[in-house]
Amino acid sequence: MTTVLAEGFNAFETTKSPEGTVKYLGSPQDVIQLLSSGKLAEHILLVRGGTTTFLSPALSMGAIGIITMSGAPESHLGILSREFQTPCVMTAYLTSSDSRYVVGKSGDAHFEEMAANLEGKHVRLDVTDSEVGRVVLMD
Amino acid sequence: MRLSPLSTLGRTTMTRTLLDNVNYDVLNTIALKKMAAEKAIADASGVSLGQVATALDDLESQGLVVTIGTQSLPTDDAVPALVATAATRYANLRIDPAVLEMATKFEQVNGQFLKAISSWQQVDVAGRKITNDHSDSEYDSKVLDRLDKLVSRLVQLIAVLSHQDGRFDRYAVRFIRATDLVLAGDLAYVSSPTIESVHNIWFEFHEDLLRTLGQERGE
Repeated sequence: MTTVLAEGFNAFETTKSPEGTVKYLGSPQDVIQLLSSGKLAEHILLVRGGTTTFLSPALSMGAIGIITMSGAPESHLGILSREFQTPCVMTAYLTSSDSRYVVGKSGDAHFEEMAANLEGKHVRLDVTDSEVGRVVLMD
Repeated sequence: MRLSPLSTLGRTTMTRTLLDNVNYDVLNTIALKKMAAEKAIADASGVSLGQVATALDDLESQGLVVTIGTQSLPTDDAVPALVATAATRYANLRIDPAVLEMATKFEQVNGQFLKAISSWQQVDVAGRKITNDHSDSEYDSKVLDRLDKLVSRLVQLIAVLSHQDGRFDRYAVRFIRATDLVLAGDLAYVSSPTIESVHNIWFEFHEDLLRTLGQERGE
């Protein structure tokens, strides 16, 4: 049985189905550390927003998949993910929670709940639907 | 919120010493590009290659930049240093009515630009967005014409900033170079993330404008 942990907007439809351990990136330093570790391709990257600009180096160096907690497919990160053909689920929400991101209203609690429930999980991104991207639990 | 372990890589004690103009321009360019080699920094900032090399040594010793191979990346302390410096460097610019009017106009143009880029990447077919394979030259021409008009409007807006700080002229030069390449048929210069494409330059300008004005980016 498939367990969908989270759903969101799909930045673009693709048959790519990347698998990895979710890693939350909260700052440029987190990105530098990940790039330096040589383990970029082992992770699905979780970030706060569609305008999380410090993620760009990770995309250009081969990030396999992204989950954002806010932002639209038309945002900068959505545009970049299509250019790099890196699957990207945007403004994801937990299927087990009623909390939803609302522009200008969602506080830290929303993001912290998302990160706490996703970080460290082994997941696969299902982005075969033109509108909805899904974060599927693998273990 | 920080859920990942703290790293000490490239970090030193936080400094609030304001950056001089050359160091600001070099660090700002690295922060905007997220990762850049010396030549690209010089080209985008208008700072000479020799000055860039000196500035990078200085910025690295201050813990504001870290180098991986030939690429320089900003540390977590880079943006706070830029924000603190910009508050002083651009104090007068931030209260200039012409600049504030320009910033309002930019927000409108920016929204149209993001939609136009998305239209370049994806085509709406019966309510389903599919990747634009660029086989419909008529569709592509319309989008390119739209993008060209939006870039022209932005270049006019940039002139308002250039009156206050000549470094913004580099954006106009870079936009003209990119759009010339697009018009010559090199379509990668519309939105490719790995070259000096129109989208990359536009995005850097937007980030730069926000920092210059001391504003936060909305989602």
